[in-house]
Amino acid sequence: MEGIEIFPSISLILFFAFFILLVTYLIRSGKHRWDEAANLPLENDNPNLN
Amino acid sequence: MSMDTFHYDNKIVRNFGIAAMTFGIIGFLVGLIIALKLIFPDFLGFIPELSYGRLRPLHTNAVIFAFAGNAIFYGVYYSLPRLCKAPMWSPILSQIHFWGWQLIILSAVLTLPFGITTSKEYAELEWPIDIAITLIWVVFGVNMIMTILKRREKHLYVAIWFYIATFVTVAVLHVVNSFEVPATMLKSYSLYAGVQDALVQWWYGHNAVAFFLTTPFLGIMYYFIPKAANRPIFSYRLSIVHFWSLIFIYIWAGPHHLLYTSLPGWAQALGTVFSIMLIAPSWGGMLNGLLTLRGAWDKVREDPVLKFLVVGVTAYGMVTFEGPMLSIANVNAIAHYSDYIIGHVHNGALMWNGGLTFAMLYYITPKIYKTKLFSTKLANIHFWFATLGAIFYVIPMYWGGITQSLMWKQFTAEGFLQYPNFLDTVVQIVPMYALRAFGGSLFIVGALFGVYNIVKTALSGSLVSEEEAQAPAIIDPAEGHEEKWHRKLEGRPLKFTVLVLLAILIGGIVEYMPTALIESNIPTIESVKPYTPLEVEGRDIYIAEGCNNCHSQMIRPFRSETERYGEYSKAGEFVYDHPFLWGSKRTGPDLHRIGGKYPDSWHLRHMYDPTSTSPGSLMPKYPWLLKKDTDYETIPERINALRAVGVPYAENYDEIAVRDAKAQADRIANQLIENGFDNVDGIAVTSDKQIIALIAYLQRLGVDISGTNDPFSGLPSDSRMGANIMED
Repeated sequence: MEGIEIFPSISLILFFAFFILLVTYLIRSGKHRWDEAANLPLENDNPNLN
Repeated sequence: MSMDTFHYDNKIVRNFGIAAMTFGIIGFLVGLIIALKLIFPDFLGFIPELSYGRLRPLHTNAVIFAFAGNAIFYGVYYSLPRLCKAPMWSPILSQIHFWGWQLIILSAVLTLPFGITTSKEYAELEWPIDIAITLIWVVFGVNMIMTILKRREKHLYVAIWFYIATFVTVAVLHVVNSFEVPATMLKSYSLYAGVQDALVQWWYGHNAVAFFLTTPFLGIMYYFIPKAANRPIFSYRLSIVHFWSLIFIYIWAGPHHLLYTSLPGWAQALGTVFSIMLIAPSWGGMLNGLLTLRGAWDKVREDPVLKFLVVGVTAYGMVTFEGPMLSIANVNAIAHYSDYIIGHVHNGALMWNGGLTFAMLYYITPKIYKTKLFSTKLANIHFWFATLGAIFYVIPMYWGGITQSLMWKQFTAEGFLQYPNFLDTVVQIVPMYALRAFGGSLFIVGALFGVYNIVKTALSGSLVSEEEAQAPAIIDPAEGHEEKWHRKLEGRPLKFTVLVLLAILIGGIVEYMPTALIESNIPTIESVKPYTPLEVEGRDIYIAEGCNNCHSQMIRPFRSETERYGEYSKAGEFVYDHPFLWGSKRTGPDLHRIGGKYPDSWHLRHMYDPTSTSPGSLMPKYPWLLKKDTDYETIPERINALRAVGVPYAENYDEIAVRDAKAQADRIANQLIENGFDNVDGIAVTSDKQIIALIAYLQRLGVDISGTNDPFSGLPSDSRMGANIMED
């Protein structure tokens, strides 16, 4: 098991790349694209209760 | 489009709610009892089952798994079906989950006070219960995943991601940390030893906080804040970044519980770096929750649900700022082992977990009982009792923790320890312990108001057991094929789950594998030998009595510690410690170099009545150790189990181990009697009592490193097997 110290670095780079890609994608996708998803909890309030 | 009509099961929601409230009150009360025991050591007498060391794990297990656990399921069983527009997949699995979980809690009550424990924090339950936990957790997971697969809403809302991460990660943590070899029906030894056991345990312990007390509650936050404020989450995009960063980073942070210990330095450094990074996703999530209330703050003034949510999320923000700060090595050097940490965790537990739980109870109960909250005023009173209670709990613990830690480290101008007697530093903070008990009492009184209010609300309505709902029939899998990336992923629960698993495995594997595989990480010390059979029995008594709840066995490389306790602890000294017993707080002094420090007679008198040797001591008395018999019968099984986990006892040693144990016990007892200690307060000192085994263990602690100690010398096995005691 030589050179095992490289693994933390690889993990960090992988995560960092994923993180940057994710943030770029989210910024480019625009806010309103997610409105529908964000409203999911508010959809099914049962008017018969309360 | 055809509409499906279906029913949400509110009965199971109610049941989890009742369980959370009941076990909450019990768990808080046990906490109050042990808090009082630190002010009045004689409180409740000296009943073994009610001693501090045995009750503390009961308190932590009750509030984590019984109170917060049932609260998580309460939130999940309410929100998940509504977000999926589908009832829970299997009502039978829901029932098995509910009753199975309560039985596990019952088994904790029936084992921990009786000294049946593994000693690993928040994983104290013994192996048969570990298996039961695994099975019931899988039942919960299957029910949840199947509900998600059978949903009528294509999109998985962010709360569900957090629920999935909770299920997956807790399963991995629990299984890996529970690898142990049974010796008897109720006794097992951890597969890992010393440093490795510590690393696995705190990878588990830290992530129990992360994935049991944080991620499910974040899911709850993402569902109930929008519900209570009647507006969508502040930024859905932020929640995506929050989720992935949090679960990836959290899993690495465990080693911050082991700074300055014998854990290899690189692992400590990784733990620190990732802990500091953790502040970003944590605060991202907190701000996302709080900013959801933009323009709705007026509601917070009136609505107790929002009050509990807001203070809960704010406390989460405080604790997740404090956590990274405590992970910085030189801050940790002061705070670790002190009561500061107890304050830190209670800030999170009382307000974040407690606050969100009561917010849910106040929100859900009127809904499922089709009524109004019995008394908003009483709920507001509860809120203030809870908040003030938490403040009165947390601040004295911060104050006391720092005070005591600085006293431990204080030197005189001549270079001597200013407070060489550990007791001086304990007596100093007793008033803080008293304030803490007062704060805890306030919190409990508030909780009782809450329970009364919830019960009255329920009684004023009637439970809608089967709540009818409608939604368009099944989702079209082809729909949304143009969607990209994360949006697409959110419609694919199985892929999502696999990615979550990958994200959390990376950190665990990268941190653990080198410690397990590279020998240079755990340098062995030739003079360190396995425990003798009597010492094994003594160690098991130490574990059963929960001594590790107040005493560490890990001297950090600080002058203030080496002056007080002796040579700092080395990784190689723990290679036969299954499990490790480093502890996490010092209500009493460190014991790693206690061996040989005092005569046997001192330990005999001290265990019988600590104040006889240490006036003013808060340590409980252990008179039963002088009366209870040593368990010689299961020594062969235990020696075999220890050999199975890697302790190099010679083959067939189990056959003569009892003889060795009895011979060593006779030697200790005879010496005591020769020195005039044939009885203590009329109780005869005989070799077959537990106290003798415990003395044997305590006198062995930390002495091997001197290189002059041969633990098996003079025992019957010595002439025939002594040389072979170590294989090779």
